[in-house]
Amino acid sequence: MFDFIQAILDGILFGTTYSLIGIGFTLVFGVMHKINMAYAAASIGAAYVGLVSASAMKAASAWAVFGCSLVAGGVLGFLVYLICFHLIPLRNENATLMSTVGMLLLADELISHATTGAPQNYPATLEDVMFRFGEMSIRGDLVVVFAVSVACTAALLLLLYRTRLGLATRAVAQQPIAAQLCGMRVAQVNALTFVITGVLGGIAGALICSAVGSLSILLTGPLTVKGLIVTVIGGLGSVPGAIVAGLLVGGLENAFQHFRGVTERDMYVMLLLFAFLIFRPGGIFARGQGRD
Amino acid sequence: MNKIALAVAAAFAASLTISGGALAQEKTVVIAPFGVKTGVLRLFGINSEAAVKSAVEEVNKSGGVKLADGSKAKMVAAEYLDDRCNAEEGIAVVRRMVGSDALIAVGPTCSNVAEPLYGILQKKVDDAKDTGLQFPILTDVAIKVGLAKISEWSFRNVPNELTMYSSLYYWLKTTRPELKTVYGGVEEDFAHSRASWHVVMKDRANANGYQVLGESKWLLNDTNFSTQVREIKKANPDILSIAAHPFTTCGLLKEMQRQGVKPKLVVGLTSTSSLETMQACPKQAEGMIIPSSFAPVNKEAKYAAEQTAKQKGAADLHSMAAWENVFIIKEAMERAGLSGRKDAASIQADRRKLRDALAATKTTKGLLGVNKRTEDREADKPYVFVHGKGGAWHVLHNPL
Repeated sequence: MFDFIQAILDGILFGTTYSLIGIGFTLVFGVMHKINMAYAAASIGAAYVGLVSASAMKAASAWAVFGCSLVAGGVLGFLVYLICFHLIPLRNENATLMSTVGMLLLADELISHATTGAPQNYPATLEDVMFRFGEMSIRGDLVVVFAVSVACTAALLLLLYRTRLGLATRAVAQQPIAAQLCGMRVAQVNALTFVITGVLGGIAGALICSAVGSLSILLTGPLTVKGLIVTVIGGLGSVPGAIVAGLLVGGLENAFQHFRGVTERDMYVMLLLFAFLIFRPGGIFARGQGRD
Repeated sequence: MNKIALAVAAAFAASLTISGGALAQEKTVVIAPFGVKTGVLRLFGINSEAAVKSAVEEVNKSGGVKLADGSKAKMVAAEYLDDRCNAEEGIAVVRRMVGSDALIAVGPTCSNVAEPLYGILQKKVDDAKDTGLQFPILTDVAIKVGLAKISEWSFRNVPNELTMYSSLYYWLKTTRPELKTVYGGVEEDFAHSRASWHVVMKDRANANGYQVLGESKWLLNDTNFSTQVREIKKANPDILSIAAHPFTTCGLLKEMQRQGVKPKLVVGLTSTSSLETMQACPKQAEGMIIPSSFAPVNKEAKYAAEQTAKQKGAADLHSMAAWENVFIIKEAMERAGLSGRKDAASIQADRRKLRDALAATKTTKGLLGVNKRTEDREADKPYVFVHGKGGAWHVLHNPL
């Protein structure tokens, strides 16, 4: 029983990395009603640029790398917006989906070429710090990831509900034409949303690589899938939902692994996704909905 | 005017004769390297390509390949083709080679490509019922045990892990008698890693009198190893044998460091004795022991590593097998007596002669010594034990 509880605890803590990615996915969807499939890959790309930039500046500490990743994330976020959304006709629902899938593959290959596919050592935030409670223990760096997720959520909610930019963002999300008629620059608001999610992606990418201990293109695929699962389970557009869903997916993943083994684990996570799509399509915090 | 015209005509005729002569001298024999050059295993392709290119340069520097008529042909390495570690793409790549003037392929990187690929080559030569591709392949990297027996056209110059791990556990048993128990860590969804633990390491540890306490499993893409490390901690083994590639090996080692899990010894997978591991977790890989069929321990090995570095590749047990392959092929080509002609029938006849020459090869010259060839077209190569020390791999023991 102790092993099971510890496994769940480990999973929940690691789920914080899924939450961080899920927040970015859900924010873009909430504002533009579109999925940015390149989000996780761009986040890992930002983490890589951060690592290289910090090394070039001979500042190898985790916090210097995070600072550089944050800036790189904002720039990459803007580039993704420009290439995959701004230059693509938004009226076509599938065009941006396909363009971001293309960007995901491109980013993946760019990282592969830059790193020659080899994993890169990534500095840890709290190396080897473990909080022990009797027989139980939790990783210090994952507590940092959780705290950052909560702080990011709080900052995003403040931004969305307490600032003029947030008001404009919500207006554009709800009624883009009316917002435009009121003098708001829709493209500018959208671009800014991508820069903000990009900055968040930079933080997420750096924290995830730090938690994993290395940066590799092996991270982009699974993070994209987990990010999407978390976004659906948390409710498309719900930032707090993404946090809770990330923790839930992380915890259940380890529970499935505990009972059914590593080879069946992902199968059950996918079944969980389908269960949500059928029984709670609006996500964890949504009211029950009727189906067609 | 007539004199000028005559002079021009003579010069033209002379130029034709010279270029014709030059063309006659420019006979070529083509080898076709392939493997992974994209994705997470990209480094394998980069290193193998560099090794093949530099070895081909060496062959040509020493005069090229002697053909049946006594003339010399230049060895040409075709463009390195990327199979993306995908079986279907690997088969497509080799089908493309079959349609070219390539006489043999060098590759692939992945065992999950090699296995189905060998399956379509033709199981037994001269079997009229099985047309197959009838194209020889000399593999440098794909290492899963026992694959070459699939087809009489498939040959491998990869280390024999059964022998290497048997020797390693035996050596540990004699030099570290206090170590009694072994626990496995395996990347369950990767053909090589899986076979290396379940067929090789576990079996060899048992055979050498170790008590195998169990195993923890994870997947190639996994990032969270907390549960597996807790299992290792609970088992408390003397030796932890990790059958996984650098990304997850490093992930596991870092989690072990966090949880303070320190087995007395860590044994790694052959493929992990590479630059990748030292890039990703130099500190955590300190002391890890791995059997390897390459180390720059003599003049030839150092020279091969230097030449490969000039082509922007790194020398390791896989890329240096590709280097050796070029010389194995050269020697087999000269024994086979190739025609070097470029019509389809001659190309196919040369491929068959080359296959037969490779099948008849009993020993080849390797970088660490003599490589023996087995009846089932595998190699029995010399090896050393390396260990991580100061952010690099160093030779710990030479058992031969």
